[in-house]
Amino acid sequence: MDAERRRESRSWDWDSPQCRAQLDEIFFRQHDYIQAGSSEHKEFWAFFERFQRFKTKRDMSVSKGGSSKEDRDGKDRRKTGHVDLGLPKEYDARYRINVSVCTRDVEERVGKTEHRSKHRSSGPGSQEISDFRLTLLHFLDFNQRQSFGKLAKLRREQKNLPIFHYRDRIVELVRSHPVVVVAGDTGCGKSTQVPQYLLSAGFNNVACTQPRRIACISLAKRVSFESLNQYGSKVGYQIRFETTRTTATKLLFLTEGLLLRQIQQDKTLAQYEVVIVDEVHERHLHCDFLLGVLRSLLSDRPDLRLILMSATINIKLFSDYFNSAPVLQVPGRLFPIQVIYQPIPPEEQPSRSEKLDPRPYLRILQGIDQRYPPEERGDLLLFLSGVAEISSIQEACQVYATHTRRWIVLPLHSTLSLAQQDKVFDIAPPGVRKCIISTNIAETSVTIDGVRFVVDSGKVKEMSFDPKAKMQRLQEFWISRASSEQRKGRAGRTGPGVCYRLYAESDYDAFAPYPVPEIHRVALDSLILQMKSMSLGDPLSFVFIDPPPAASIQTAVTYLKEQGALDNHCELTSIGSLLAQLPVDVVIGKMLVLGSLFNLVEPVLTVAAALSVQSPFLRSSQQNPDCATARQPLHSNQGDPFSLLNTFNAWVEVKGERGGGSRKWCRRRGLEEQRLYEMVNLRRQFKDLLRSHELLESEDCTSSSGDRGQRRERITERRKLHQMKRDHEQQEGTKRKVLKLEEGQDGEFSSGSDTEEAGRRKKSKESSGQDVDIQEVKFKLRHNVTELQEAVGVSQDLSSRQQALLKLLLCRGLYPQLALPDEHNSTRKDSDQVFHTKNKHGVVVHPTSVFASDPEVLQVPEDNASEMGSDKKDSSKHQLLAFVTLLETNKPYLSNCVRVPALQALLLVANSVDSNADCTRLVIDGWLEVELREAEEALKVLSSALTLRAEWERMLQAKLGQNKMEDSAVSGVTRKMVEKLSDGLVRFLLYTEITYSLRRLAALQVQNLYIGPRSESELCHMKALDLNPLFPGAEAKPDPIKGGLRVTSFFTYNCLADSKDLYSECLRTFWSCPNCDLYMPLTPLERMQHEATCRPAGEQQQLEEEAEKGKTGSVSSLTRVYHCDVCNEDLKLTSTEILKHKRQHMYSAK
Amino acid sequence: MAQAIGETPHNTFTCQLCGLSSPYTYYGQKPPNTRAIVLLEECFVTRDPFSPDRDKFLVLGSTCSLCNTCVCVGSDCSLFYTKRFCMQCVNKHLDQFPSQIQTELAKKNPSPRPAVS
Repeated sequence: MDAERRRESRSWDWDSPQCRAQLDEIFFRQHDYIQAGSSEHKEFWAFFERFQRFKTKRDMSVSKGGSSKEDRDGKDRRKTGHVDLGLPKEYDARYRINVSVCTRDVEERVGKTEHRSKHRSSGPGSQEISDFRLTLLHFLDFNQRQSFGKLAKLRREQKNLPIFHYRDRIVELVRSHPVVVVAGDTGCGKSTQVPQYLLSAGFNNVACTQPRRIACISLAKRVSFESLNQYGSKVGYQIRFETTRTTATKLLFLTEGLLLRQIQQDKTLAQYEVVIVDEVHERHLHCDFLLGVLRSLLSDRPDLRLILMSATINIKLFSDYFNSAPVLQVPGRLFPIQVIYQPIPPEEQPSRSEKLDPRPYLRILQGIDQRYPPEERGDLLLFLSGVAEISSIQEACQVYATHTRRWIVLPLHSTLSLAQQDKVFDIAPPGVRKCIISTNIAETSVTIDGVRFVVDSGKVKEMSFDPKAKMQRLQEFWISRASSEQRKGRAGRTGPGVCYRLYAESDYDAFAPYPVPEIHRVALDSLILQMKSMSLGDPLSFVFIDPPPAASIQTAVTYLKEQGALDNHCELTSIGSLLAQLPVDVVIGKMLVLGSLFNLVEPVLTVAAALSVQSPFLRSSQQNPDCATARQPLHSNQGDPFSLLNTFNAWVEVKGERGGGSRKWCRRRGLEEQRLYEMVNLRRQFKDLLRSHELLESEDCTSSSGDRGQRRERITERRKLHQMKRDHEQQEGTKRKVLKLEEGQDGEFSSGSDTEEAGRRKKSKESSGQDVDIQEVKFKLRHNVTELQEAVGVSQDLSSRQQALLKLLLCRGLYPQLALPDEHNSTRKDSDQVFHTKNKHGVVVHPTSVFASDPEVLQVPEDNASEMGSDKKDSSKHQLLAFVTLLETNKPYLSNCVRVPALQALLLVANSVDSNADCTRLVIDGWLEVELREAEEALKVLSSALTLRAEWERMLQAKLGQNKMEDSAVSGVTRKMVEKLSDGLVRFLLYTEITYSLRRLAALQVQNLYIGPRSESELCHMKALDLNPLFPGAEAKPDPIKGGLRVTSFFTYNCLADSKDLYSECLRTFWSCPNCDLYMPLTPLERMQHEATCRPAGEQQQLEEEAEKGKTGSVSSLTRVYHCDVCNEDLKLTSTEILKHKRQHMYSAK
Repeated sequence: MAQAIGETPHNTFTCQLCGLSSPYTYYGQKPPNTRAIVLLEECFVTRDPFSPDRDKFLVLGSTCSLCNTCVCVGSDCSLFYTKRFCMQCVNKHLDQFPSQIQTELAKKNPSPRPAVS
């Protein structure tokens, strides 16, 4: 009937946009429940079409048997008993909808339209209106059902979690105890549910820490969905560069490190009512420390509630640490897993140097193929210790997979590109299984559903720290029983599974019960620094849950002292307290502080950021000749940090020009763009930190604002970007694609294919219109590309002077991480170049370093032929490598190296410079020996180094605000002073032409290095001789251990055992000062002292004026009070004047 | 704790049949910001948590027109046919419902009287 009428109606076409627009006018106005133009409006019209089709179909079938229905309805009513429900006689789906659309105003309009329609025959008639309204009702009902269905499913799933039964118990325990331990295994739901239980019990401001950033994001997403606050900000996360936290946020997921930083700012953590520390059993460094801090914080915050959540591992440890806190144990939800021990037979056991034998692994793949029909789905997860092991087994498995066409082999480790890592979540086609070969990353960090088979090699590579060699070591170990169980559990997440253990049950029994906690394995420098800045007292007496070895703490303290972060009393220095706030290694933090002094902030920011993230250069692309060629222009033979700097700068330029095109640019060069995004974020964070410590002037806001039109444009663009980000977030996670059988074949060992592969994937995604480059969107939201380009432009074409200075800053930052090229390197192959650090001999440059491919630049040119023995090469061109990491895997490798001129750099950065009497022999840091040919030159170079360093130090301290109290006005570092200093440093670095030999001291030589303390009489003699401070404020004293004279904190004169000490007095030679009229016979030391204080006439005057402006006693003042014993008088003199004064007495005495 | 409760005085709707519970923000026939839309029964309503639009509502449940049991709108617990009926009442008076509904329910739970015994 409907259909017929519609056909009759005047020129009404449901598909015509005009007709639709007329209905939109009536039903979907600006203030209506659904507005024209909204996404729901679009959905409605799609629904409308479906509904009309459905109705037409139904009308046709109903018209056949319509009459019988009415009969039955009549019968039913007669049968009814005493209660009449008063239901309508004829069934209509409309009666099942509990919504109605109030239409009075619509009808009025329709009346008008119909009136008008006499003249113009368009417009919906009453039939169209009612058809439309009915569809709208069905649409509203459909949406209600859909949303309610989601809600019901959600609640059902929550109810089915094992932890659900403990809900009330948990809340009750938290209410009655300050600390509660919730122990539950994988799948019990503790991480998602416990925070929600607390929220609905009325707790506000809950923090929940996670060891991994990614978990913070995914948990916040899941929990906000579950707590029906998907579009609000009640549940948020906060990680290093990103936060969704607002004032409305009641539950915050954050990393352990971040909570620690918050405690640094907010000692009592007043912002939280409850703190949940999740995954405490993983025993990360930050987590162990956090527990310690929270434990001591509890006494100040009796109202704070602390919940530790852990797997059912070692629970007693945690409970005991918190005064026998109550433990609630929740069973996990794992399917049964069959364990099969299949120890590797001795003949297939790998010997140390050989590759892994793939046979045991292949047998398991074969076994699965024989035993389980391909229709029975389930993937395999294989745990190996490291990347090399993975690629050799991957190769063998791939051959088998290509042959059988039943497997897709995928590697998984952290150095893969993110796109490649992501593949393990894609789905295998029917009849094919994924074989994921992974490091222990899949044990906890990455969870892959659908795994049915686990193969456990029982091995893990773990980082340890060798405090003696100051070296990190990546070694292979047997795993612990806890890890073994964790790996096994990966087979039973989605159904019953099988775990093959490639070791004997007796091996398993002999495993350690738990893994070694991180705090026992790593360098504690940053930890100790943070403890100091949180005023937690002596690190040795801090109550850790499992205290690290005292020696380890001691090493860190010594290191921090060396780095200048702690003073001799183990108190934080001003630079130290700044370093404690930077979320990076001490060495990198130091670079930032140093860079802020000079006009080199921009490049230093970039380098510091680059050295703090994983390298963007993908290893797998290194063998690809195309990538290598494309990368070539980015490389700098100055060192890896410069290559990184070039890469970042080039990338920013591409970003500015081509925006999203940067992805392709990166792919062509084998760069992981994610790392560059991390760098740009980190760089920004560093900049903000420096600014907040007034180490960097805040930028003028005017520079970027532009005119009104531009501003508006920018606002519109931002709005668009925000929308894109939201859209992306909504559809995220819904796009798992099906893998192709060939997927694994072009793995990383077939060169070049993986970039093409990535290209293919991207293309297919782009064509489907789904793939917004979300990173690009976030980047644009966070950074102003133009501003960034400007900033980066500064560091783009560094002059050789700037480059030299930047190298010096990096070197001072990295000090004492220096390596000396072996003297015989010129006779070795490129790949066999050997280096030595102070504590570790025979290290090599990592193959990814520019110096591995271009070692010639480190060699001393042959033309400075030596006169002396073969192993003492004289040259003015010796170089050292400053490096970021020393890591031993199969060999000890240096990574991220930069080359510096040896003597110049050492004199400017070393903590200990010892000399003989005429300063022709210097020993640096007790391991490097420099022999200079010309005493005159030696003296000159040493003297200028001392002067430069003193000035540098003074400015640095002033910049750090240490002198604020004394003379705030004068101590400020003027641009002129900085320029002069950098000029001096550069000149020293580039133009010091001095010939010297450089070698490492042998062990025996180190033993008899110093003359040692002198007898009383000798000391008296020395005192009488000369005890002038070299610089105002510093006293030169005999060194109690080395002997000789300690001239500055780092320079000890005349303490070397071979020194011609007896003659030191006779070493006086006539010398005339170029700046003043002094002409006298002076010892080397006296001469240096004079040079340190005597400035050219103009400058001297200027300095004095400045000094006068400030208050007396300021550091910049050159005069000081000198008590002359002979005159018995206090004199106010400059050092030079003191020298002259004393000389006067000396001559008169003779 | 008192402050915590005071801050969000949300009421909780709980289905007396399946136990589903969720906070509701409105009870009645005319949820806020719904313009022309009117509900045909007094409902427990909340903001639709699955829609990014703040003004979208979601009906959680209402009371059975016969026995006044509080039921959710899930098809296992209640049915709307000009009025709300809880499943217990529907089953009690099944014969008064049109055949379409009877067949539909029989299809869904083929349990009570299986054809083959």
